[in-house]
Parts: sequence; C-alpha cells; structure tokens
Amino acid sequence: MTETPTADGGEQPETDGTDRPTVLVPLAVLEGESLPPGGPELLANARVVLLGYHVLPEQTATEQAREQFGETAMSKLTEFADRLTAAGADVETRLVFTHDKETTIDRLIYEYDSLAVLVPNSAERVDSVLVALRGTIGVGRNTRLVAGLFADSDVDVTLYHTVGEGESPDDGASFLNGVKADLVERGIAADRIETVVEDADVPIDAIAGRAESHDAVVMGETDPSVTTFVFGMPSEQVAERFLGPVLVVQRERPDE
Amino acid sequence: MDGSEPSDAPGPPDVEVPDALAAVVDADTGEGELERTIGLVGGLAIGVGTMIGAGIFVFPGLAAENAGPAAALSFAIGAVVALLVALPASELATAMPRSGGGYFFISRGLGTAAGAIVGIGLWLGLVFAAAFYLVGLGSYAGQVFLEVGVALPIDPAVPLGVAFGVGLTVLSLFGTENTAALQNGIVIVLLVILTLFLSYGSLDALGVFGAESTPERFFPPGGALPVLQTAALVFTSYLGFAQVATVAGDIKEPSRNLPLAMVGSVILVGIFYVVTIFVATSAFGSARLGEFGETAMVEVARSFVGLPGALAIVVAGLLATFSSANASILSASRAVYAVSRDGIIPEAASRLNLAYGTPHVALGLAGGPIVVLSATGQVELLAEVASFLHLVMYGLICVALVRLRREDPDWYDPSFRCPAGFAVAGVGGVASFALIAFMQPASIGVGIAVMVVSYGWYRYYATDVDLKGDF
Repeated sequence: MTETPTADGGEQPETDGTDRPTVLVPLAVLEGESLPPGGPELLANARVVLLGYHVLPEQTATEQAREQFGETAMSKLTEFADRLTAAGADVETRLVFTHDKETTIDRLIYEYDSLAVLVPNSAERVDSVLVALRGTIGVGRNTRLVAGLFADSDVDVTLYHTVGEGESPDDGASFLNGVKADLVERGIAADRIETVVEDADVPIDAIAGRAESHDAVVMGETDPSVTTFVFGMPSEQVAERFLGPVLVVQRERPDE
Repeated sequence: MDGSEPSDAPGPPDVEVPDALAAVVDADTGEGELERTIGLVGGLAIGVGTMIGAGIFVFPGLAAENAGPAAALSFAIGAVVALLVALPASELATAMPRSGGGYFFISRGLGTAAGAIVGIGLWLGLVFAAAFYLVGLGSYAGQVFLEVGVALPIDPAVPLGVAFGVGLTVLSLFGTENTAALQNGIVIVLLVILTLFLSYGSLDALGVFGAESTPERFFPPGGALPVLQTAALVFTSYLGFAQVATVAGDIKEPSRNLPLAMVGSVILVGIFYVVTIFVATSAFGSARLGEFGETAMVEVARSFVGLPGALAIVVAGLLATFSSANASILSASRAVYAVSRDGIIPEAASRLNLAYGTPHVALGLAGGPIVVLSATGQVELLAEVASFLHLVMYGLICVALVRLRREDPDWYDPSFRCPAGFAVAGVGGVASFALIAFMQPASIGVGIAVMVVSYGWYRYYATDVDLKGDF
C-alpha cells in the first residue's frame, strides 16, 4: 500500500473498543427539524454523529450565516445532544453551514465511517423494527448495525425480504435464516427475531406497507441510477410514506 | 490485509492536498464549521462567466472603432495587466481564503483607510460593472426583436436593461438554488458556441474559404495612444478574476484551486478576446463595426453563415451578458457584507433573511443603484468607472503583496507564492495605475469622487476600526 504516514492520527475517529455502530443524524436545525422523541431510545447504543446543518443559497457567504445564526443553532443542537447522551449514546456534535447538503452529509459519512444515516422522522417509542434486506451483498453492515443497536434492548426485529427474479421463496427464507443466525450469534435472542419473505411487484410499496406495523425501518441505500434520479432513492420514498424514522445503511465507502 | 493495523478508519476527505489554512478558517469556533462547495471547474466558471460577457459581446464594435485592428493589442495589454495582478492576488488569496477578496487583502495588509476606500469602491465598482452588463444584455434582448422583425419606436436596450436589473435583483432575494450549476452550464454552452464561431472566423479570415478579408492598417491613425485608451476602456472585460477571490471562502482546496481559477480564467478569456477582435476586424472595416455598436458580433456572424450564425450569437450574447450581470450583482452584495462585517458600514447591511437565507439589505444596496445606473445607458462611462475602481483595487493588491512580504507577519503564510513576487507586483501595480491615466476625464472624475466620498465616510464613521493584520 502506498500510504502517506499520518503522523498524529488525532483527527481520525477512533473506534472505541465497545464497537458501537456509528449513526449519522443530520438535522436542519434552523428549519425547525428536531430530534424525534423516540430518537434517543432508538440510538441509545450507538455512537451518534449529530450533524446540525443549514443550507444557504449560493449568493450568501457561509461565514455570514455562521456569524448570525451559529449561536442559536449550536444551542439547539446541544440540547438534542444532551438528550441522546442521557439515553446512553456516545455523541459527537457537528454544525455545518453549507451550500450543498449532500456534500456535507457525504463528507461526514466518510469522516466518521458511518454505518447508517438516520432519516429523523418522528416516533414515540421503539418496540419493533423492520429490517428490509435486499440480498447478500453488504448484508454484514446491516447485521452489525442491528445487533449493535438492539442486542442489549428488548426491541423486536423483523427481517424482511422480497423475492427477486429467478429466486424461489425457499432461497429467500434460507437467506433470512442465515442473517438470523448471525444476529443471534451477535447477541439478539432468537425469539425476538421474526423472518418474512414476500413476493412483491414493487418492493418499495411492500416495505412501506409492512413498516406501518413497526416503529422504525432499517434498509440499505441504493446505487444512484436513472430511476432513483427521477423517483428519488427508495429509502427516501419509504421515509416519505412511512413517516417514521428510517435508518439507511450506507454502502462500504471506498478507501479513496 | 497484511498490515499490522486494521486500517478501516477512513482518512478525512480530500486528503490529497492538505489545506491547513482553509481548515483553520472553516473549523468550528463553537458556532459551527463551514462547508466549501465550489471546485476548480466552478471557480473557473465564475471567472470566465463574469468576464466573457463584456469582452466578446459588447466591446468589439466600440473597441474597433477606436483602435482599429490594433484593438486586439488593447485586449492583449489588458490580459497582461490582469495576469500581473492575478498572480499576486492568488498569493494573497491563499494566505487569506476568506470571503471579500481584494477588500479583505487590502484592509488586512494596508489598514482600514485603504480598506474602506477599496471596500466601498469595490461595491460601487461592481455596481457600475453590473449596470454596464445590463445595458449590454438589453442590447441583445433588443436584437431579438430586430431578428424577429418587430419594429420598436425607441431603442429598447436601456429599458430592457433596467427591467432585467429589477428582475435579477428580485430573483437573488429569493435564494435561487443551483445557480452554480446553471452558471457552469451557461459557460460551457458559451465556450462551445464561441469556439465554433471563432474557428470558422479565423479560417475564413486567413482565406481558407476563399472569402476576401478586409485588409486594413493595423494601427489606427493616432498611433499607440488610441490603443492604450482602448485598453483602459475594455479592461472591464477582465474584472471577473477578482470575483473568484470574493468567493474564496467557498472554494475547495483553495491553495490549489484559487490560483488556477484566477490565472486560468484570465488566460482563457484573453485568448478568446484577441481572436474575436482579429475575426471581427477581418470581416468588416473598423468603422463599420463601430456603427454596429454593442451587437457588432451579431453582424459578423451573419456575414459568415447568415441568419443561423446571427441567432447563435444573439443567444450566446444573452447568456453571457446575463451571467455577467448576475455574477456582478451577487459579488456586489458580498462586497457589502465584507465591509459591514468589519464595521466599516453599519452591521445591519449584512443581515440575513432566515426564510430565504439571503442578505436582503446588501442585495438591495447592490440592486438599487445598479438599476439607476443602467437607466443612464452610458455604456462607456459605466465601463470605465467600473474599471477605474477595480484598477485602484488591483494596484493596491500589488502594494499589499509587497508590504506583506516585507513585513512578513506571523499569520502570513501563503501556500501559493507568486513567482518573482516583487517584480510582478511592482510592474502590475504601476501598470494598473497607469492604465487609469488613459481613461476619459469624466470617468476619472467620477472614480475620484467615489474614492473621496469613501475616504470621507471612513473618517466620519470608522476611524476606530483597526483591521490591519486582523486575521
């Protein structure tokens, strides 16, 4: 490897031995977005990167906004951070003034090697979680997140898979059973895990429908394509319809 | 895999170029950090987009009338002066990657008095420039009516320019998103149209297509003097590189991208300008070009390929003058912000509107006078006053570079160093001030009046503000 030696490494986020999954929680603080009531409970076992951001039109200098709104935004953010800390989460707070939300979120996903990003829709309390799994690729990140967040809680987990083309329901069931075994090994009691395989024409509709009987959704992000460009990311669509919190598991980011 | 440590901790983004200074500026001071979102292409687009409107779509007729084919030389002189300033400005910008550009360098390098003159001068200089672009935009919009055969009782250039001025100001108040993407797109379309047009025109002028080009004496009857006077007039075409510095706070990896964007955009537009004049004066005699006025390039294109060519240039002219005017309005509001942040004018001027996120007072202070000035329709005066106020700033940028290098304060640590700094800054400074001498007396008068009033304001309002070295 041709690595440039990093002398101090002080900037590197450290993975403290407990192996808490890192979850990025972006909040448009100045536009009134706030931490949902169920948020602290949901993220009690996570390392939370609480990102307050404010998007400015290009004609405005970010510096100018920081000067005027920085203090207000920071005090709100600190309030949210305190609630998360009280629930048991490790919290890092960042406040960013930006012209482009995606750039900022993407930068912080890299910077903290975030496992998932929370779409902070409201939830009162979290008793059951729907985990929508597409296939074996990257499934390890899903299990790491789910086990990390819920192993020590009494949240029920429903693993959900829609059968794809050329796949039999039995294939789907054995895939989910593998995942279940993995979760059990990671400390979630087997009787708290349910598996559901379904044959659905439009997976997004099916997921959004299923989600209604749960309090939160965990699902993967999708590679950008023409379809996602036109209709938005599946995770966004689900979040819009489900109206509850959605944890979007991030792809493994290349090491640049 | 074989390493001693599991290396799954990612590096920070943009690891290739550590930008220590930028990191300090952006870092969280307890009130949040700043995201940089403009890359090299975006920076170049700001520079080129601001500049190219004037040099190609407004000036060729006027310049050729004054200086004949030697107007190409006038544009070349302008490019050299701009480059001599762009290099020192790049060094200063990498040492102070903050919003405010030239004003910021001068107020920190030379003190509050010089800063006040330049800061207020920069705001008004951009106001004059924007008014000038708007009249150009009005001329092209008027040309649209001519092309579709609608006869208007009056010359529509000024009223249309005023209307666009009001429209752009209102638009900018409501925080349009994606203006950067739009700007990039406009610049790319423009460069494609211009490259096609100028390639065809150059081949034609060289006789490839058998058409006869107009042989004409290179130098005008007055010799070198008209050439220098024209250089002073058309210098407005080179103001845009400084606009890159006014958004320095938004540029990613500023130590690399700022110098490249500033110097690159000057070189790029300089080449386009010189070739444009060569092509234009080959197609028509200088006197003819002068009669065509602001939209001379439309007639040049028509003479090559008829109506489609004329239409292409009308569209390009609309896009170019529009993007120049828009960029100038936005830069002017940034200039207002920069001086108000420092307390040179009341802080209220930089208040942001939370709903739209835009500085409504600053935009009003930019848009209002712009509309009034474009109503005068005095193209040459507007252009020259804009150049005057910018040239004063450019001259002082060079002085600031020399001063900072000699004093070498602790905080001055530019990551880009201008080659042969003292010589370049010396020549650049002298050339900037010298160019002013070739302007019309009226323009010089207005320019000096602005400077005197700015200084008077500083004595009245801001004598207790100390900015030198305040970084």
